Amino acid sequence: MSEKGEVNLSGVKQSNGVWLVKVPKYLSQQWEKATEKGDVGKITIKKKQGKSEVSFKLNADLTGLDALGEKDASLHVPRDHPFTMHNVGGQTLAVFSQSDKDEISLEGMVVHRAECRPVVNDNYMKLKKLQIKESTKPQRLSQQLERAVTTVFKPVANHNFNVEYEKKKKSEGKMVRAERQVVLDMLFSAFEKHQYYNIKDLVEITKQPVTYLKEIMREIGTYNSKGAHKSTWELKSEYRHYQSADEDETHTS
Amino acid sequence: MVGHHRTTEGTSLRNAVSHRTLKKTAHRNTPVQTFLWGSSSSSGTEYIVRVPKTPLKSTILCINSGDKVACSTWTQARMERDMSARRIYGEEETTEGAAGSEFGKKQREEARRKKFGIVTKEFKVEDQPWILKVNGKAGKRFKGIKKGGVTENASYYIFTQCPDGAFEAFPVHGWYNFMPVAKHRTLTAEEAEEEWGRRNKVVNHFSIMLQRRLREQERGEDDDDEGEKAGKKKKKGGGGRGGDLRIHDLEDDLEMSSDDSHSSGEDGESKSKAKKEVGKGKGKKKKKKGSEHEALEDSDDGDYEGLEVDYMSDESSSEEEMEKGKPVKAEEHPKGIDEMSESEEESEEEKQNEEETKEEDEEDDGKKTPVQSEKKKKKADSSGESESSDDSDIEGETASALFMKKRTPPKRGGRGSAGSSRTGSRPGTPSIDSGSTSSTLRAAASKLEQGKRQTGSATDTPAAKRLKMEPNSQSPAPSGKSTPQPASGKSTPSSSDVQLTEEAVRRYLIRKPMTTKDLLKKFQTKRTGLSNEQTVNVLAQISRGSTQSVKMSTTRCIFTSQSNWTEGVVTRITVNMSLCQT
Repeated sequence: MSEKGEVNLSGVKQSNGVWLVKVPKYLSQQWEKATEKGDVGKITIKKKQGKSEVSFKLNADLTGLDALGEKDASLHVPRDHPFTMHNVGGQTLAVFSQSDKDEISLEGMVVHRAECRPVVNDNYMKLKKLQIKESTKPQRLSQQLERAVTTVFKPVANHNFNVEYEKKKKSEGKMVRAERQVVLDMLFSAFEKHQYYNIKDLVEITKQPVTYLKEIMREIGTYNSKGAHKSTWELKSEYRHYQSADEDETHTS
Repeated sequence: MVGHHRTTEGTSLRNAVSHRTLKKTAHRNTPVQTFLWGSSSSSGTEYIVRVPKTPLKSTILCINSGDKVACSTWTQARMERDMSARRIYGEEETTEGAAGSEFGKKQREEARRKKFGIVTKEFKVEDQPWILKVNGKAGKRFKGIKKGGVTENASYYIFTQCPDGAFEAFPVHGWYNFMPVAKHRTLTAEEAEEEWGRRNKVVNHFSIMLQRRLREQERGEDDDDEGEKAGKKKKKGGGGRGGDLRIHDLEDDLEMSSDDSHSSGEDGESKSKAKKEVGKGKGKKKKKKGSEHEALEDSDDGDYEGLEVDYMSDESSSEEEMEKGKPVKAEEHPKGIDEMSESEEESEEEKQNEEETKEEDEEDDGKKTPVQSEKKKKKADSSGESESSDDSDIEGETASALFMKKRTPPKRGGRGSAGSSRTGSRPGTPSIDSGSTSSTLRAAASKLEQGKRQTGSATDTPAAKRLKMEPNSQSPAPSGKSTPQPASGKSTPSSSDVQLTEEAVRRYLIRKPMTTKDLLKKFQTKRTGLSNEQTVNVLAQISRGSTQSVKMSTTRCIFTSQSNWTEGVVTRITVNMSLCQT
């Protein structure tokens, strides 16, 4: 997602003034429930003694709070919210928007900042109480049990896991030694992918008994007992032909 | 319910008037004006607020007012994410190929991390800073860092007024604080720390960046074009110093070029010297170190403790000035020698020898040469003043152990007085002050070298012999050879014949232990009629033979006729002996 976008400065050019309004969480939650049209309420702007008063009134149909399954009747989100207006003093605030296609455009400059406050009444207090209760609940709870749990950790003749393991082993049977050349081919193709292998991994890849595999490895490879790749097997230098990290090839003698 | 329900939903109709009014008020610091609609006489107007569901994500771009940014002046802007942190986080992506890789390494690493509870932060592109470039290449650059916690407790909405008068509220998803990015070069954190430590001393702050630039140029000198360098210089020209004058002491270099961990003071000096040459070649480099503007700390007292100072010269003993002092001293000594030597012929006849050997001397260290010249000068003294040992004693490591002596003013005084006592025609001032021709210096130097060598060869087989002159020596015994000098050892008398015998040696040694060289001085070729080599051989024999009277301290290489004597042994003996042995 590299956004090397040319910023669309049309918004700034037109000096679109916008308001940055801080809205409480519950209110924004209610707004999200709005219909497609998006009407959530009304703003009233008044002028009183030289000062402007802005107030927001939430639509009635959005006042229902359906958190925690509470009934709508009991608790309502307050409807009236006067705005507190500030001037944008020490900062230059601009708004830019980002589309899905990573196109950035500067929408406008913020001319006023506002905070949406609810009118404090009993209803609001109840709402707040509810919120606080919710938030103080711990995420994890200790619960005391009356009786000990007896469903697990019963003594078992053989655990399920073990039983499965043994079955699997039986079905697969012991690993059979394949032809030497076949095994060599398998090994070389494996070493084409990685340089260092654990013997266990090789056993898993080739499905050969360990002793047989070790014998073959001793012939074509070396064992690193020290160094960065500890206790790993790698091919002998004459057998390997790794080029850069990207491509490599091995060849048999 | 407060509020004047004057308007209904139909107020969504807005005429252009109010819209224009809104535009006018879209300036900072202007109060919100009443939006009168139509003929409403009430003081309030209502607008519908809509929260449209838009796919656009709005973000706040916040720039500090102090940076004085006027967005309206931007002609064009580009904004992109700053992905420089990706390589830090994505470091796990090592070589994908087979070479050097292990089978199942990734899983193992992951299991290991889980076991230890190491949680690595993921690299989220949305959280990366923005880089905003305004007005193209020459314009400003801003870096915007995401402000955390904006959307956690409260939501921000952007209210815009639509043409129809209704407000539309868009939620804000992020907040980025933008800061201008400095285009000029800055110091790194380590460099800044260093400079902070020196802030009280450094007065000239231009030189800080100048130094850094020069250092960078040094590193990239092979790769850089000349044009680049010229460009850099021009940039610096505003703050640089004019001229190629560089006045710097060693201390300056040590302090100013202490930047890199690798560069020592000397490196810096050499670097700067190299730069100087380069600069001079280009004729444009303005790198005056401005040392005269720097207030440097005084050197501690202990700085020069270990240095051996040639007390014959008036100059102080800095390493640099040693070199400077050398030619000066060189000049001074021969003059002194001239004056001090009794016979002119002696100096002349030895000049040739000395000149030959002088070349060899000059190959030695700068430090050694003054030492040697000193010694030679003394050697050339026909009087064989022992005070000369005092002077050469000054130079530390290179000083001949033979000339071990306390560095006291009496040396000078002694010297002067010796001179006066001896010849009487000598000027009162020590010989140092007077200048001299280089030829005589060379002569003196070579003579000293010769004598040293011979001494060295003589003392080769026996252990290195070192004689120490006590500061207050008693007057020599009735050898009649030396006249007592206040602060010096024996001084040979003017013109008595001396036989190089064991008794003579013993007599000398009775007074105090002496080094072979001093003994040699006593038995000068002229007096004994022997050549230098012969003298040395005889001395050697004597020292070996007369074990009762002459004891040699092998460990400390001291000749003494008495078993008990206090020493102030200098371990530099061995060094010097190796020098003597050619």
